[in-house]
Amino acid sequence: MKTLFSGMYDWFGTYLFYSKDMGDHLNGMDITCTDFIGTPWYMIVGFIMLILTLFIYAIQYHIYDKSRFNKKHHLWIMMFVNLLLNFLVATILASNSVKEGYCSELSLTTMDCIGFGISNAIWSFIFHFIITSITVFRRLSINCRNTTFWKP
Amino acid sequence: MKRLFVFAIGGTGSRVLKSLSMLMAAGVKPTNSDYEIVPIIIDPHKSNEDLKRTERILFNYQAICKSIGTQNGFFSTQISTLNNLVNPNKVATSFTFDLQQVGGKKFKEYIDFNLLGESNKALADILFSGKSINKRNEEVNLLDVEMDIGFVGNPNIGSVVLNQFKDSQEFKDFASIFNDGDRVFIISSIFGGTGASGFPTILKNIRNAKSLSNIQSKGFLQDSIVGAITVLPYFNLETETEEGNKSPIQRSHFIAKTKAALSYYSENLSGNNSINALYYIADDSKGKSYKNDPGDNGQKNDAHFIEMASALAIIDFLEIPDSELQCSDGKALSPTYKEFAMKNDTDSIKFSDFDNYTESKISKRLSQLTLFHKFIKEQLNNSIEKEAWSTSQPVIDKKFINDSFYRTYVTEFLTSYNDWLEEMATNKRGFSPFNLGNNLQNLIKDKTVKTNWLGKVNFDFNFFNDMLAKKSRNINYTSPEEKFIKLFNDATEEILKEKFGF
Repeated sequence: MKTLFSGMYDWFGTYLFYSKDMGDHLNGMDITCTDFIGTPWYMIVGFIMLILTLFIYAIQYHIYDKSRFNKKHHLWIMMFVNLLLNFLVATILASNSVKEGYCSELSLTTMDCIGFGISNAIWSFIFHFIITSITVFRRLSINCRNTTFWKP
Repeated sequence: MKRLFVFAIGGTGSRVLKSLSMLMAAGVKPTNSDYEIVPIIIDPHKSNEDLKRTERILFNYQAICKSIGTQNGFFSTQISTLNNLVNPNKVATSFTFDLQQVGGKKFKEYIDFNLLGESNKALADILFSGKSINKRNEEVNLLDVEMDIGFVGNPNIGSVVLNQFKDSQEFKDFASIFNDGDRVFIISSIFGGTGASGFPTILKNIRNAKSLSNIQSKGFLQDSIVGAITVLPYFNLETETEEGNKSPIQRSHFIAKTKAALSYYSENLSGNNSINALYYIADDSKGKSYKNDPGDNGQKNDAHFIEMASALAIIDFLEIPDSELQCSDGKALSPTYKEFAMKNDTDSIKFSDFDNYTESKISKRLSQLTLFHKFIKEQLNNSIEKEAWSTSQPVIDKKFINDSFYRTYVTEFLTSYNDWLEEMATNKRGFSPFNLGNNLQNLIKDKTVKTNWLGKVNFDFNFFNDMLAKKSRNINYTSPEEKFIKLFNDATEEILKEKFGF
């Protein structure tokens, strides 16, 4: 899982929104700069992102599941909430990890933390998009079974 | 499937038939028996608005059933025309028995009065003395009555003209398709002209079928199970026509005519066991007066509770087992006579005023159809193409609501249903179990919506949409039309159970 999340964030995040150093730190570079044996932040944030997105999807599609909240604009609202939460989670966790200390060879800034938040938010959006596009999951919903970006 | 041939005679016949259509559309049907209904309307007054409205309602009902079948809760009783049964390929069919030689003809012309000898003319003068009215509301002699406005309260004319029934193609068709197990029901009023004369005439021809030539299934017909409702006076009439003339049809004559007809019936119908089940219904309520218009314009009477109760007699008749309605040589072995009674005598009847049987028979089904109509009227446009039940296959989209099935048949039928309810509610005695203009929560009088654990009433169109979505999930419908009717039947049933405890 660690490799999966590392690959995911490195592919779409590192260089684009934050520095390679931030990428190494989140990948678990330990404080002594020995190896990637420190806290695997990519994996932790990645799991939280997945669970949060699934939870927010489930709230709309399976827990609340009412006709008063099954339109496309409601899906946009939930996407935005998910995006915001994931941005905050990633930014705060990254920022706290930096405050706790990191490998002295790395150069990390606040903008790196925000950049990681943006990257995580985008991934949560993509993940939310994928879940709501899978008919098999959606079909389990009563009122939101046709709520997706693919239908008008 | 067994058939019930319903002869609806005169204006009251048409109105009772209309009520029967509404009940059947709601899904009211006899317990443990399934009949195909074959209405045959007998009324010389072709421009009668009640007749035209009933024909339109039956046409729409039939079109709906043709499209979706009869397994969907609403519209679950097959209605056919006699023509359809005899010739299934015929497109243009009618529910109306085509009375010959009445259009634009005076009664004296019908009986060839001028060709009679002097003694027969004198006899006809005696038998048909008195005054009546023509379609221009002018007073005329009875022999000069123009029959295309009916028999204007003169059963003596009706009994002559309607006797042509036995020689008609319709009667031959009816006899030829009549099978063992089929039944006949005759609806008529006793206080007018057409119904009072038509009922004994038709019954006589059925019971004497063996003696008629060119008739098939004579044995079946003669010993068929025949029920009837004879409607005694139940409404008032204005004493004058719109033009200010005194009408020949007066409520004060109703009682005298009723007594005379009952006396005749006691000898010739009930007295000789001609009928298996005879229902009597009347209302002495001094209610709203109807416009007195015997002429060419009209007879468009508001729907009345008595007509609905009369339609219930047909349901009751179909619930009586064959074993209790046996005939031998055209005579009922154990004839039964019934009246309609209620728990409470009130001017504005609600479901709780009925006895338990009637209440259980109609309250849920009528409430379901009323909920269905309310949704269509007030919410459908907001839900179409937006809600899951609408966007799931088969899709109920804007194209669907522009097609004739919805736009013509369903909408017209449900508008008539709403008119029927409104007319009954404003009539006297009224039948008003619904607050039609109110919100969903207060729709059914006498019924309180259940609250949730927070003490809140959660019943609005969103809840309705939720239920539609729930009920449509994982169901394979064969067509959008079938889905539309079946889904609303299932959803309204569940809503009433969950929210009103039906």
